[in-house]
Amino acid sequence: MTILLAALALALLGLILGGLIGFTAKKFAVETDPRIEEITNLLPGANCGGCGYAGCADYARAIVEDGVSPANCAAATEENFQKIMAAAGQEAAKRERKVAVVYCSGDNHHAVHVALYNGLNDCRAAAALSGGGKGCRFGCIGLGSCARNCPFGAIEIRDGLAIVHSELCKGCGKCTEVCPRKLIHLVPADSKVHVFCNSLDKGPEKRKICTAGCLACRKCVKAYPELFNAQGFLVRARDGANITAEQVAEVKCPTGALQTVESHANLGKGKEGAA
Amino acid sequence: MNSHHLPLRPHRFEGGIHPADGKAYTTDGTIRIPPLLEKYQLVIQQNIGVSPLLKVKKGDTVKKGQQIADPVGNISVPLHAPTSGTVGDVHDISGANGAPVQAVEIIADGKDEWCEPMECYPDWRNTNRELLLARVKDAGIVGMGGASFPTHVKLSPPPEREIDTLVINGAECEPYLTADDHLMREQADRIITGAGICAKILKISCVLIGVEENKPEAIRALRTAAKGQKDIVIVPLKVRYPQGGEKQLIYALTGRKVLAGGLPMDVGCEVQNVATLAAIAEAAVEGRPLIERVVTVTGSPVADPGNYRVRLGTPVRKVLEWAGGIRKEVRKLILGGPMMGFAQSSLEVTVSKNTSGILLLGADEVRQFEAGPCLSCGRCVEACPMRLLVSTLSKVCENERYDLADENYVMNCMECGICTYVCPAGRPNVQHFRRAKAEIRALKRRK
Amino acid sequence: MPSNEWLTITVGAVLVNNIVLSRIMGICPFLGVSKKIKTALGMGGAVIFVMGIASLVTSCLYHGLLSVKLNFTIGSLKVENLDLSFTRILVFIVVIAALVQMVEILLQKFSPILYGALGIYLPLITTNCAVLGAAQLNAESNRGILPSTVYGLCSGLGFALALILFASLRERLELSRIPKAFQGTSIALITAGILALAFMGFSGLVK
Repeated sequence: MTILLAALALALLGLILGGLIGFTAKKFAVETDPRIEEITNLLPGANCGGCGYAGCADYARAIVEDGVSPANCAAATEENFQKIMAAAGQEAAKRERKVAVVYCSGDNHHAVHVALYNGLNDCRAAAALSGGGKGCRFGCIGLGSCARNCPFGAIEIRDGLAIVHSELCKGCGKCTEVCPRKLIHLVPADSKVHVFCNSLDKGPEKRKICTAGCLACRKCVKAYPELFNAQGFLVRARDGANITAEQVAEVKCPTGALQTVESHANLGKGKEGAA
Repeated sequence: MNSHHLPLRPHRFEGGIHPADGKAYTTDGTIRIPPLLEKYQLVIQQNIGVSPLLKVKKGDTVKKGQQIADPVGNISVPLHAPTSGTVGDVHDISGANGAPVQAVEIIADGKDEWCEPMECYPDWRNTNRELLLARVKDAGIVGMGGASFPTHVKLSPPPEREIDTLVINGAECEPYLTADDHLMREQADRIITGAGICAKILKISCVLIGVEENKPEAIRALRTAAKGQKDIVIVPLKVRYPQGGEKQLIYALTGRKVLAGGLPMDVGCEVQNVATLAAIAEAAVEGRPLIERVVTVTGSPVADPGNYRVRLGTPVRKVLEWAGGIRKEVRKLILGGPMMGFAQSSLEVTVSKNTSGILLLGADEVRQFEAGPCLSCGRCVEACPMRLLVSTLSKVCENERYDLADENYVMNCMECGICTYVCPAGRPNVQHFRRAKAEIRALKRRK
Repeated sequence: MPSNEWLTITVGAVLVNNIVLSRIMGICPFLGVSKKIKTALGMGGAVIFVMGIASLVTSCLYHGLLSVKLNFTIGSLKVENLDLSFTRILVFIVVIAALVQMVEILLQKFSPILYGALGIYLPLITTNCAVLGAAQLNAESNRGILPSTVYGLCSGLGFALALILFASLRERLELSRIPKAFQGTSIALITAGILALAFMGFSGLVK
């Protein structure tokens, strides 16, 4: 009997409180767009900032409220990207996938050290102090600021050189911001061959401080003038040039600065580019 | 003499340490004149502010002391040829900060002929102060204590600022260096003249020269030179690093405190180094521009350490040759002193207007360290002369929290090096703070 | 009530029998919201408010309805000496849940910033035992309505104090080098334990 009455009393209490909450919810309702939450869940959630906004939730808000294009997110999977475009009510578009490349081959086997650096293990700090010991003032300092800054763990420091694992790289661009020598560049993902050197020094000077630098001998330019661009003492592959590994082997770069992305990623593992 | 300026005993500034002196290496520190070189690599920008504009080109003939670069704007000073000869290449050489700098090569002809001197003012007491001020700029004089700020700008404070005291830095608190000491002993007259000229330009009648007590001969020489001049008082100071720091010196001599972010002129003072004064005197009285300075070459690996009157643009390699060469393994080459100097990675750096010393340290004198975590022992906080919370700053800078670093006044750090020197965990504090300052400035520029 | 009874309630609730560090209640929001001092301050304020109101409402309900022996007749049914105090846990939970839900709605409307900072933690206040525990302790000790409310407010104050102290410690820990094995929650829990040890120093302050 008591139990029945207790149960009835509780049910009555529940009804009263439920009514009260319902009333408050209706009276003090706040309008929020449900699409923001939907898009936030579709975004990768890494908060890498590659889109230029303060995190995935902020970017979702910008997409819905300000009409920003979702194409700025390089890290979302293709499937999620199409869903986001649909949710935002924008026409399906194609994203160009980019990856980071480190334009330097000067690891400890190739670069000459002129001084011993004993200080903060940070490339930006070392750059302010003679550049951390390697003779080349354009090359990779190798203390790992880019690797620490990568939200996807795509950069490895091997033998004093930053190596990008392109299968992990999402092209968010955080590494390019932090490198004090500005030698990391974002290139199209299907661009497989580059000249991995950043030095503007003259050939003979370069040779003294690194055995893997581009000497600007122009062998590659002479063989394929439409694929390469000589800029003073440094040669670069032209934008959009799709150079193949066979062409690299044919050119026979004397220092190995011209190599495939794969061969650069295997530096120091016993498999090096043509040298 | 305004007696209220003169303390009964100099004030004791807070913080500071007593590092090993190192001055015994140059007991025979009489200033030596080295031979002429074949080539000089003269760095073009040797002042804070705007770089002067080179006005000679390759192949031109120049005379010693000839103006080869014109100042650009007010915060700029001219550059003069260190010897007579021909102008060579204009190229990049290793700079004192590690980054390459533009330099002009002067190929000596061996004759070392002076150009026409500028008008001499031996009776400077009765010379128009505007002329004297213009001479300070025309002679290319900058702060030679290390700051290299154009002196003529310093000597023209805004009219609303009332300056009443000229404070002269003869402390030379940095270990190992004895250049200023011997300059005071040998050229006391020039220094006192320079002080008088600055006092005239600033229209003040109180000059206080602070000299650390470990330089009794210098104090005697200066007092003899200033005999009869009631405006100039030589004050012996306790030996403590950084006694020669601007704010510490002002406090010790006048008891006035320069607040955080402030300048000496806020408390009515101006600070000049003794070497700068000697250069001013030489420029005004003898009409000669700044083309050389006294540099202490010292350290246990140096065979014959001493003070040399070196022409600007002399490579360090050459100076070391004159000092007898290197006789044991060198681990560090420092331009300046061990506390605030810059470690170098090349012997091709050249002497500039603010190079006070070339210090070599042997392998047994340099410690390689692996920075440990902060122990919160407080030694750095005790010793910091700017009264910063160094342990907190060290931790936040290590975590790259530059917002917190700014809140804790990292911009007030004078980079004296004490915190790195005393840290038992071997933390590179000064490097942390220099990086933090650079990042904070970059952030402000971006906004 | 004699004055030392008030002291027992207030000082006892804040320091001696601190609801987080002595009674070990409400650990979830304690660990969840203590990363920054700013959010800790906001959360502390919210908890004081909720615990105060909750204690007031629940003690009114308890004294007015549940512990009073009810006598009434519905038609032919006669009820005598109905004591519903055994249902107090269920009733308290329902009431507190409704209360916090309304606080959340009002917060979202009137202070979106605070809502953004604390939004996910408000449900944590509902389901955490600190609020329920304070209400239950009031019922157990058979305090009057005013002392119950004061006890609720002071428990909230004790929670806020512990939370803010802990947040300050965690902000300092952020800047230190912590061995890999201890990073994250483990060093937080160790620190909380040491803080609880420290608060044991207050025992014996009041009887």
